[in-house]
This record gives sequence, structure tokens and C-alpha cells, in this order.
Amino acid sequence: MKFIRKPFGYEPILTKEDVKGPFQKKKGPRANNWKNTLLRIWKIVDEKRALLIAVLLLVVVSSVMALLGPFLIGHMIDEYVLKQQFDGMLPLIAGLVFIYVLLALSLFFQNYWMIGIAQGAVYRMRTRVFHHLLHLPISYFDKRQHGELMSRATNDIETVSATLNTSFIQVFSSILTLTGTVIVMLSLSPFLTLLTMLIIPFMFFATRWITKRTGKLFKEQQAAIGVLNGMIEETISGQRVVKAFSQEERMKEEFRAKSARYRRTGFWALTYSGFIPKVMNLLNNISFAIIAGVGGLLAFNGHVSIGTIVIFTEYSRQFTRPLNDLANQMNTVLSAIAGAERVFAIMDEKQEEDSGVVDAQHKLSGKVEFRDVSFKYESAEDAYTLKNISFHVLPGQTAALVGATGAGKTTIMQLIARFYDVENGEVLFDGMNVKDIKRQTLRSQMAFVLQDSFLFEASVYENIRYGRLDASNEEVVEACKRANAHDFIMKLPHGYDTILTADGSEISQGQKQLLSIARAFVADPVILLLDEATSSIDTVTEVKIQQALEELMRGRTSFVIAHRLNTIRSADIVFVLQQGEVMESGSQKELMEHNGIYANMLSQSGIK
Amino acid sequence: MNDLKTIFAYVKPYKWPALIAFCLMLTELVVELIQPLIIAKIIDDGIVAKDIGTIGYWGLILLLLAFSAFTSGVINSFFSSHVAQSFAFDLRNALFSKIQSFSMATYLRFPSSGLITRLTSDVQQVQSVLFMSLRIMIRAPLSAVGSLVMAFFVNPKMAMFLLIGTPILIFFLNVSVKKGVHLFSEVQRRLDRVNRVLQENLQAIRLVKAYMRGKHESNRFKEVSSSLQDDTMKALRVMETIQPVLLFVMNISLLGALWFGSIDVRNGEAQVGELVAVVNYALRMTGSFSMFAFIINALSRAKASSERMEEILLIEKGTETYPASTRALDVKPTHNEALRFEHVTFQYPNTKKTVLQDISFTVEKGEKLAIMGATGSGKSTLLNLLPRFYDPTEGAIIINGRNIEDWPLEELREYIGYVPQSSMLFTGSIHENISWGKQEASMEEVTTAAMNAQIHHTVVNFPSGYETRVGQKGVNLSGGQKQRLSIARALIRNASILILDDSTSALDVKTETAFWDAIEGEEATMLVVTQKIRTAKGADRILLLDEGRVIGYGTHEELLGTNARYLQIVMSQQEQEGEA
Repeated sequence: MKFIRKPFGYEPILTKEDVKGPFQKKKGPRANNWKNTLLRIWKIVDEKRALLIAVLLLVVVSSVMALLGPFLIGHMIDEYVLKQQFDGMLPLIAGLVFIYVLLALSLFFQNYWMIGIAQGAVYRMRTRVFHHLLHLPISYFDKRQHGELMSRATNDIETVSATLNTSFIQVFSSILTLTGTVIVMLSLSPFLTLLTMLIIPFMFFATRWITKRTGKLFKEQQAAIGVLNGMIEETISGQRVVKAFSQEERMKEEFRAKSARYRRTGFWALTYSGFIPKVMNLLNNISFAIIAGVGGLLAFNGHVSIGTIVIFTEYSRQFTRPLNDLANQMNTVLSAIAGAERVFAIMDEKQEEDSGVVDAQHKLSGKVEFRDVSFKYESAEDAYTLKNISFHVLPGQTAALVGATGAGKTTIMQLIARFYDVENGEVLFDGMNVKDIKRQTLRSQMAFVLQDSFLFEASVYENIRYGRLDASNEEVVEACKRANAHDFIMKLPHGYDTILTADGSEISQGQKQLLSIARAFVADPVILLLDEATSSIDTVTEVKIQQALEELMRGRTSFVIAHRLNTIRSADIVFVLQQGEVMESGSQKELMEHNGIYANMLSQSGIK
Repeated sequence: MNDLKTIFAYVKPYKWPALIAFCLMLTELVVELIQPLIIAKIIDDGIVAKDIGTIGYWGLILLLLAFSAFTSGVINSFFSSHVAQSFAFDLRNALFSKIQSFSMATYLRFPSSGLITRLTSDVQQVQSVLFMSLRIMIRAPLSAVGSLVMAFFVNPKMAMFLLIGTPILIFFLNVSVKKGVHLFSEVQRRLDRVNRVLQENLQAIRLVKAYMRGKHESNRFKEVSSSLQDDTMKALRVMETIQPVLLFVMNISLLGALWFGSIDVRNGEAQVGELVAVVNYALRMTGSFSMFAFIINALSRAKASSERMEEILLIEKGTETYPASTRALDVKPTHNEALRFEHVTFQYPNTKKTVLQDISFTVEKGEKLAIMGATGSGKSTLLNLLPRFYDPTEGAIIINGRNIEDWPLEELREYIGYVPQSSMLFTGSIHENISWGKQEASMEEVTTAAMNAQIHHTVVNFPSGYETRVGQKGVNLSGGQKQRLSIARALIRNASILILDDSTSALDVKTETAFWDAIEGEEATMLVVTQKIRTAKGADRILLLDEGRVIGYGTHEELLGTNARYLQIVMSQQEQEGEA
């Protein structure tokens, strides 16, 4: 009999705090949040107002037709069937046919257009959140799992999508039907109408009781699926490691735990939201019984006609049905709000500041200066990665950053690219604070070869063109030749048109790096940043591209990080970093003569 | 729906609670169906017959029934949520388990974005349909059928008219569903694409920013989103035609029943109450029709999603569940031999290019083999064959005298410590990441591994030490720190064979030297891909690859004397050194 107990054995999620009585807090911040979120969704939908109004008009038409149908049928029964008067019936029936045609057409078109409006809104929401996401500071991404963020743009937006498709029409038509029904009912029998209305307060409280719970639960549910998504993405991306370490079982277990959490929130959300139609049905039935009983009595006394009661019972259904629908929609809307809130949370994140005043056309000379820069990553509590760094590099110079791993070399590169903003000190280009230069201006004059090479799911051409979108095919090929990538590209199944994938097997890590270098070749920058650009490339190939790289660096300000010290032989100036501080700097010759850390490093690596 | 068997099987464990939920739903339904009967009774026997007792009596029964329906409904909520959620839970786990058992080759067939969509969105679709079917879905058709039956019960002739449009409807529904399923699976595929672009951009966010390609990527995303939008609209619109059509046909049928029914009433063949009841039932049927449309929509969607999940669940080849080998040890374990490649040739699945060609070599126990070669010469691929990420197209790999295909997979992988080329850390603390492959490891083991990997000092200097959180891709660590964590993660397993796939490339000379010194004492056999002659010198033997072939094998000195290519590599590193 375990299966009987099990459905009642789920560990509750809501605490007493969550469901405080309706009188304790009248307008909590959450209620306000709901309103705001709803308003924001509405604003996105409202952008297609003309079409929306057309849909609303059609809803009016279909609602009127839906009311008119039963009304005429009741009328027909009363006036013709009961009175055994059949002569005038045919035109009435013809009229009804017309009404039903109109009903079908208005239903079709309101749905047709509403889907367009809803999906359009969803599209706008999705692309906007993506656009916003791309403009968030790098530190935002440092803290979050990819899969979790992905879930917001897919799973969360899907809840909004599902709701918009139906809820808008439903809510509006429910309100219309309700109003119409009440008017007709009032005209039929004010007393019976009043009787029917008795259930409204009960409905109100019941709905409130339930939505108070579901609202919170839906939120939990969306959060849980986000966590689950995060784990899935991470596990699948790191599958090679999972397999190599035989951790499949543990991953399954971990997944099971997160999946169970999702199940639990989902269970309660479903259960509570499942109460709504039941409560409504009960109230519905009660009012049905009351009308039948009291109505029967009235008819018995001759106060109302039998036909009126028949119609009235039908109308009382018509009256509770939209109320029922509204209550149900409350749930759907709440789940959409839960999803939308998570989407808007991204949109509310502050984008990278870009208050540059420097003219976008401004051509940088390539002079880079760090003035007393200290920097720590947001997540790193109080450990400074860079401490009081000061240096300047003149236009056209090649600067090498050397030092042990974790000394802060890559961080300096990231600051030059303004992936992060410094709080202490200044980063200056041509004597201007980097914060005063528009990112577009700055980065369009830089080229990067980052430590991790990435490929997009696109052809080789397009991947290289990432460095400069308007590069011609010839330029791409030329860049690849210089980066020594041409030969292997030609061996790919479709040469330069081969579609590469981020996680595909067709390209080795070293080849990826060659492509990244080709990207930089295509870019034609003023400032060049090479962060371990050749670390996965064999030294023979490296020698071959070294010359091309040196050519590339000529006339441009370049920053180079390389562990293989011989790859930085052409540097004009070397900065030796240790635990975030510049320990030595100067030309290679100077440093050798200084006989300090750098000289020591060189001798260790066997270079004399 | 024959092809949904696999998915449907996951409902089976919950057949009892499902049945209970179903019965509870029936209870509700019966109450609903009886109501009009009672109303008719109240009208005919109570009001018309002027019997006040009858009115009260039936009114009370009506109320009682309402309460029992309510109770059933609330209990049903618990049961159906339980069934739906547990079904989805099991299904998700089954999918995830299946995915975990994929061979690397299968992963190449299914991009991760598609797998993510399946595990979330697709499961969700099917789950919500199951939930609905236990609460309302069957209810709407049943309510329609029930109303019809009751109408027949009241007056068969009038009820017949309600069926006029049925054949048209059946044909129409059939076409719509077929189209719907097709369109919805297209929608889910589009969602895969959206997921994919998202994932790519998140992974490469620095690159996107560096090259100011926000606009370009936004456009790319707009493209996939708008195809998602278009296909969703198409699918939904096809589905939404169902409701008006159904309603129209039904309403016309109702008019038919009314018209011909009234003729019967006129001829005295039927009672007015009967006609009222039949019309009432007919109205109720139309009421359930909008739900009907909704259901068909949901069903088509669920079917599309189910098919996508079955695609995963039904994969048999391409998983790592190899049958236990019955072959005896076909090679006598040579005492000193750790591993041997025998004429190994390899192509990636579905490609034509041979990546490795006729590779043969032997590594003795405790030896360190350096693997060198040009970019793209097959070094990483060769290492990938050892833990059986891929199986050789031809030839065999023997570890400890036993073909790796005869090893239980888990045992084989436990035997091997693997440090991949890109570090791939997981969300969690540093401690968790190091002990990732050995959960039960003590703190001491963790620190020892960290010390050997030359990361201990760095870690203890972090404010939170070993509890420092590492992001998904180990973001706030430098490249070299990530590599060393990844090395520590492998070292802690004390594997007999250690594979390092160019995993020290981001280490500075001093750190790297210290690292090699630290693991000098390890008894493990090591296979090390490297670019550096210095590292190669420290190896017992060097394997030189070019375009997938072995072009040199021997010690540093041997190769130096005989191998032109090796000399070239040495020169490439010395030539510059001379200048520096």
C-alpha cells in the first residue's frame, strides 16, 4: 500500500513564513514585484498594439456570440418548443448558424493573431535578454554556470511563451463573458443573480490561499530547473573528464539529487495549482444546487418560468466558468511571472559602463600606460591579483610579460582589453583614461589571441573573419597562410568551407590556436595582445610562424605572454611579474645585465 | 502511438497511483454527468409536478455529490502530481544515465545543446501531458463521450444528430495531429539551436567582447530565435484551427438536434424535458471542446518530444556498455611491459581521414614516454585511445598483457590517470575539484596531490584556501593554476598509467621542473605529450609522430643522432635560444 502513502509523503517546501495569512501583510514587496513583472511583460507585448486591439475586438465578437448562442436556444425552447409553436423557428436557426459561423471565424483569427503577438513578444524578450547578456561585464559570467544562464533564455522564457499564447485571450474573454453573463442574469432575475454571486467571496479567498503558495513554488521550480540545467551543461561539456575518471555513477547520483529537488518543487506546485479547478467546481456545484433548489421553489410559486430556470442554470455555469478560467489563469500567469522574473533579473544587471567621450573615429597611437593599478577579482575576497602596477609602453613597442603562473600576466591583458574595470589606479591609452574611451573604439583597434581558443559553429572562413567581418576570402586565406594554418585547412573535407564545431574532433588544440592567430592577422590592429598564443603549437611550426608574428607586431604595440621564453626574443621591453607586482622591467639586455630574476629564469630554462 | 512504447514504459511503475487518480477523476466526472439528470428530475418531478419535497431531496443529493467530487478532486491532485513528477524524474534520470553511457563518438553525433533541451524542455512537455491526462485530458473526451451517452440515454434519436459531423472531425483531427507532431519536433530542434548559440557565446564571451562582435552574435541569435518563433507560430496556428472547426461542427450538430428534436416534441414522440436535457448535454459537449483542442495540441507536442527522447533512449550501439569479454588473456603478461600499441590505425567515426596509421610501440612499467610531433599529428588522439574514448579502427592496444577491449571499462579507467589538454574544472571548491576523481580521499591525500602538482602553495595563499570556489571553467584561476589543479586531480588517484596531454604548457620553467621532480618517485608509467625538448629529455623514450605515423622512437640521444625531424625540433628550440 506504499503507493497510497507516497503521494502524501513529499517533504514540504513552503514554510509558515511563506504563507502568512492574508491579513497579516496586505501589500508585501512580493505583490509589488508581481505587478512590476507583469507590467514589464505587458510592455513587451504592447509593442504590437494595433494587432492587439484587433484581437481584443475579435474576442468581444466571439464572447458576444458565445453568449448569444445559448440565449437564443433558451429563448427558442421557451417561446417555441414549450409553446408548441414551430413556425418561426427556422429563421431563428438560420440566425444561429450565422452566429456560429461568426464565432468560429472570430475564434480562428483571434488565435491566429494572438499567436503572432505572443511569439513576437517572446522573440523580443529572448533576443533582448541575449543582447543584454552580451553587454554584461565579464565578472558576471565568472560567477555563473553557463547552463543556468541558458535555462533563463530557454526554460524560463518558455513559461512566458506558454502563458502569452493563451492567457491573454482567456483573461479578457473571461472578463467579458462574466460581465455579459451578469447583465443577462440580472435582466432575467436579480434575485437569482444575487444568489449566484454569493460564491464570489469564497472564490476570491480560495484563489488567494492557493496562489499565495503556487507563486512561491513556481519560483522555486524555475530555480531548480536552472540548477539542473547548469549541471547538465557542465557535465556534458566535461564528459571527457567524467569518463576518464569513471565518475559516471557519481554524476548520475548528483543529477538524481538535483532532479529530485526539481521533482519536489514541481510536485507541490502542481498539487496546489491543481486545487483551483476543484475548488471552483465545488463552488460551481453548490451554486448550481442553490439555483435549482431556490429556482425550483420560485417556479413552483409561479414567480419565474421554467424556461428561465433552465436558462439560468446554464448561465450560472456560464458565470462560474469564466471565474474558474480566471482562477486557473492566475496560476499560469504566476508561473510565467516566476519565469519572467528570472529573465528580467538578467536585464536588470548593470551593463558594462561605456561612458566614453572620446570620438569613435579616434585612432589610437598605441601608447599604453598603467598608473598605480591595483586589482582584485570580485569573487576573490581580499586577495589582490595586481598590486600597484605602473608601466608605460610606447607606440610600436613589443612588451613581454613574464613570471610564474598566477603572477597576474593574463590579468594585465584583461585590463588592457577592459574586460574588467580597475578601481585603484588608472589604465591609460594615449594619456586618456580607458574609461573615457568607448569600448568599440578601443577594441576595434585591438586584436587578441586568448589563452583558450574558441571556435564557433561556422565555416573556417567565418571563424577567421571573426577578427574583421569585412575581410575578403583572399585576405582570410592569406592570413591562414601566414599563420601556417593553410595546409591543414586544405586537408579538411571542404577546405575553408568546412563547418567547424566548438566541441568537434576535426581540429586539434594546436590547430585551433593557429586559427586564432590567423584571426589576429586578419584584424589589422593598433594594439596586439598575445596570451600564450603558441602554447599548444609544436616548436617547429612555431618557428615558422614566429617570423610572421614578428612582422605582425612590427609597427604595432604588442603585449606578449609566453612561457617559452625564446618566443619573446623580439620584445623591446620585458616586465617581470611576481605575485601581482612588477619586479623588474627593461630591455632584455638591461635585465640580463641586472642579473636578477629574469636572468635567473633564462638560465634555468637553458637559454643563455 | 505504437512508437511511444519506450516512453510510456516509464509510467508503468506508477500504474496504481495513476489508476487511483484516474478513478478519482471518474468520480468527479460521474457527478458532473449526473447533475443534468437531477436537474431534469427537479424540473419534471418537482416543479412541474409541484412536489416541494422532491426539490429539496434532489437538491440535497446534488450538494452531497458536489462535496464528494471536491474531495476526489483534491486527492486526485496529490496522486496525479506524484505520478507526473515521478515519471518525469525517472525519465530524466534514465536519459541522463543513457547519456552518461554514451561513447565519445556518440557525443559527436549529439551536440550538447540538443541533449540539454531533451533533458529539460522535452521531458517537461511529456510530463505536463501526463499530468493533464490524469486530471482533465481524459476528462474532456470522457465528458464529451459521457454527455453523448447520456444524451442517447435520454433520447437516442435526438442524440444521433449530435454525431453528424463525426467523420469530418476524425479526418480533420488526423491530419492536424500528423502535421502538428512534425512541426513541433521542428520547434524543439530550433530550441536546440537557440541553446547552442547561447552556449557558444557563454563559452566564448571573452572572444566576443574582445572582437566587439556583440552585434554579430546578436544577429546570429536573432536568426535562430526568429526561426524558433516562425516554427512555433506555424505549429501553434495549425493546432489552433482545431478549436473553431470543432466548435462549429458541434454547434451545427446541436442545431440539427434542436430542430429535429422539436419536430419530435411537436409530434408527441418526445417530451420537452428530454429535448432540454439533450440540448444541455450538447452544450456541455461543446464546452469540453476547447479543452479538446488544447489536448490535441499538447499530445502532438508530447509526441514530438517523446520521439526525440526515444532517439536517445533507444541508442544501443554507441554506448559504453560493452559485453563482458569471454576471451581469455590472449597475451601472456610480459613482466615489465606496461602497455603496447600493435599496428593501431584510427579514423574518427564518419570521417575519411586516417588520423593514426599503423602505430606500434611498447612502454615498460615505470617508464616515461614523451610523445612529440607537429600540431595535428595525432598526439591527443593517440592518448584518447587508451581510456577507450574511441576504439582503434584496426590493431590492438595491450595494457598489462591484456587487450583493453577485454578490460572492464571502469577498471581500465581506474588504472589510468588522465590530464586533458584543456583543464575542464567543475563548479565547486578546490578541494572538491582535486578529490573529484576520488571522493573518499583524505585531506592529506588532497594536499599531497596538490603539493606534487605544485599548486599547494598557491592554494593556501588564497583567503579560503582549499575551500576557494572555482567557477565552471575555473575562471579566476590562471591558465597554469587550472592546469595544475587538473594534474592534482589525476595524481590523487595513484593510477598506474598517467597520461598528460600537453598539460604543463602554461607552467613556467621553474614550476614545471619542480613538478617533474616531485613525481619522479611515482611508480606510474607515464605518457606525456609535450612540445618541449627539455621535458622530452627527461623521458625514457620519445615517440615522434607525423601525420599519424611514427617517424621516430627512441631515447633523446638516439633520436638526436638518427632522426632529422627530431633534430629539427631540437634546433627550433635551440636556434632561438642562441639568439636570446
